[in-house]
Amino acid sequence: MSTAVLQLIINGLLLGGIYALISIGLTLIFGVVEIINFAHGEFLMLSMYASYWLFQLYGVDPYVSLFVVIPAFFAIGWAVQRIIIQPIIHAPPLNQIFATVGMSLVLQNAALFFWKADYRTVRTAYSTVSFSGLMISTPRLVAFVFALAIIAALLIFLKRTYTGKAIRALAQEKRAAMLMGIDIYRMYKIAFGIGIACVGAAGAILIPIYYAFPTVGAMFVLIAFVVVILGGYNSLVGALIGGLIIGMVEAFSGFFLSPHLKEAVYFVIFILILLLRPAGLFGRA
Amino acid sequence: MRKSTIGLLVASLLVFILCASPAVMAAEKVKIGALFPFSGPLALLGQESFNGATVAADIINEKGGLWGKQIEWVKGDGVDPKKAMTECERLISVEGMKLIFGTYSSSRSYAASGVAERNKVIYWEQGAIADPITERGFKYLFRTCPRAGQFGTMAVNFAKEVLAPTLKLDPKAMKVAVMFEDSLYGTTVGSNAAKHAMAMGMNVVATDSYSHKTVDLSPVVMRFKARKPDVIIATSYLQDGLLFWRQAKEANLNVKAFIGTGACHGMPDWAKTFGEEANYIFNIDPAIGINPDVLNAKTKAILKEFREKFNKKFGHFPATHASLGFVGGSVLFEEVLPRAGSLDPEAIRKAALQVDIPKGSTIFGFGVKFAPPAHPAAGQNLLAHPALMQWQEKRMVVVYPVEFGMKKPLIPLPTWEQRGKGETSFVK
Repeated sequence: MSTAVLQLIINGLLLGGIYALISIGLTLIFGVVEIINFAHGEFLMLSMYASYWLFQLYGVDPYVSLFVVIPAFFAIGWAVQRIIIQPIIHAPPLNQIFATVGMSLVLQNAALFFWKADYRTVRTAYSTVSFSGLMISTPRLVAFVFALAIIAALLIFLKRTYTGKAIRALAQEKRAAMLMGIDIYRMYKIAFGIGIACVGAAGAILIPIYYAFPTVGAMFVLIAFVVVILGGYNSLVGALIGGLIIGMVEAFSGFFLSPHLKEAVYFVIFILILLLRPAGLFGRA
Repeated sequence: MRKSTIGLLVASLLVFILCASPAVMAAEKVKIGALFPFSGPLALLGQESFNGATVAADIINEKGGLWGKQIEWVKGDGVDPKKAMTECERLISVEGMKLIFGTYSSSRSYAASGVAERNKVIYWEQGAIADPITERGFKYLFRTCPRAGQFGTMAVNFAKEVLAPTLKLDPKAMKVAVMFEDSLYGTTVGSNAAKHAMAMGMNVVATDSYSHKTVDLSPVVMRFKARKPDVIIATSYLQDGLLFWRQAKEANLNVKAFIGTGACHGMPDWAKTFGEEANYIFNIDPAIGINPDVLNAKTKAILKEFREKFNKKFGHFPATHASLGFVGGSVLFEEVLPRAGSLDPEAIRKAALQVDIPKGSTIFGFGVKFAPPAHPAAGQNLLAHPALMQWQEKRMVVVYPVEFGMKKPLIPLPTWEQRGKGETSFVK
């Protein structure tokens, strides 16, 4: 295989890792709380700003800022679930959509109001590792490895701990879980908190690669939805595979076809998969 | 008791003032619609363009205003082309505007100016550069800034006239790659550059477009790495421009010269992000930092006043977009409206077509003369043209056309490795 093809595979995998990273939280919230969180991209935007400001004001390295961002975003997720989502948890889906879309608009415009439309980015010393002619960007590699680690940690948490098992029970059958004495509202808050903490971590990891501005979430959220649906709505492994597929498709179609057709190509593949497997790749029909 | 009576009096007085004042004030204002993307992804440059125009209005207002009245802006938010149309409609039918000032973004301007034309309302464009805007034979549309096609042509001319001889390359053997974001703006500039380069007999090795909303430009970088161009001509907005440069660095993509054609590569935010690494990049834009010998004495004074006022109001010195807004505003307020005598669109049209100011009388150095309705570019300022600049020591310096130039261009672009070490070896 030529170096160009190997480089394309690397680029595709690393991009897929980023897509998986931003989709994990969405998948978890979608699978457990059964809410379509349209404000997902805005939480990504907020966490990018958070680690940007930590870097700018206190000189905290974006990766170190994870220790602050993750607990803070867990708390934010918990609070959002308690204050905004819980009252509408049994409401018709349309009302839930209004609530999360509204939240996204409020957060976007609040960011525009407080931080203006400027593009903000950090310059870190992390650079590219060259490996016999192949270029591997360190921040992208970190994002990829972190996505794998976070999925592994979540799988262990969901399979081994009581809270994890309770969350899974809730995702499978809400009423039965309630009858078994599981405090479902507490579990919802934990699940939403973890989901937002995941996207918070993604923001801190992405700030050395991208840049923060009020509508940055919109750039990623559409892909995150595609990845989640492709992966099968509530499967973490599905989100990883879905992210990697889209990353690879973009890298190859962008190089061999044309860069402006790459989005079109992955949407065609997306539609085909939905036609053939409506429940997604790893979903249970 | 007495206290409450006084309170009531004061309150009713306040109500009276509040109710009465808008009517009184309105009679003393010249109201102009300002249609820009004030929110959404293009808000940054939209706001900056408008900021420049407000300084032009401030200068007139301080001198007692237009026809003795103060100029006031009525804002419309053109988030996207569709919204720009509805906002233009609103400014005309609800707010009663006779003159719309906009828009910075070509796709928004193209859509909204159609609405103004249908309503026989003047559309004054100060910064949207796509050629098709003035190719529709509109009667009520005027544009003060240069056209995109000129940017692409200038990039190719510079490559042929300056880069090729300096690099000791035959222009016909020179490998050129063109990249552009695929909205109206990028498509016009990019395809024009590619067409012109081919007409000049250059070897165009790649013509790649992409969506500026993408989160990955490594396919473009990889294609360029495979085809090894000598020169890249790029039309990018800020977000995709930042992304391209990060990914070009990650992949160690090196070329002999990189020419940006407006937007991203002329912006302080871009230079701030890349610091030293932004040096030696060329950019084409209407330029304010031209050789002052080109400007006449009055324009030199205006430029100084504008820079000081802008800095005082917004906390930084104006860059290209703010200056375009300023020129659009000052041509309108100083040359056209005083001659028109009112906001009547027919009077403004007539006055605009009479304007004929020579080279050296705007802060960009170009003159103003609008093409009449029969012209293929009706409403276009035919004397407008951009300039080619280079980032040298973190500042943009005009280098082409030669008489506008402040310094000599530094060629070739050092590799990423050399730039990291601060090594340079330019051809003299």
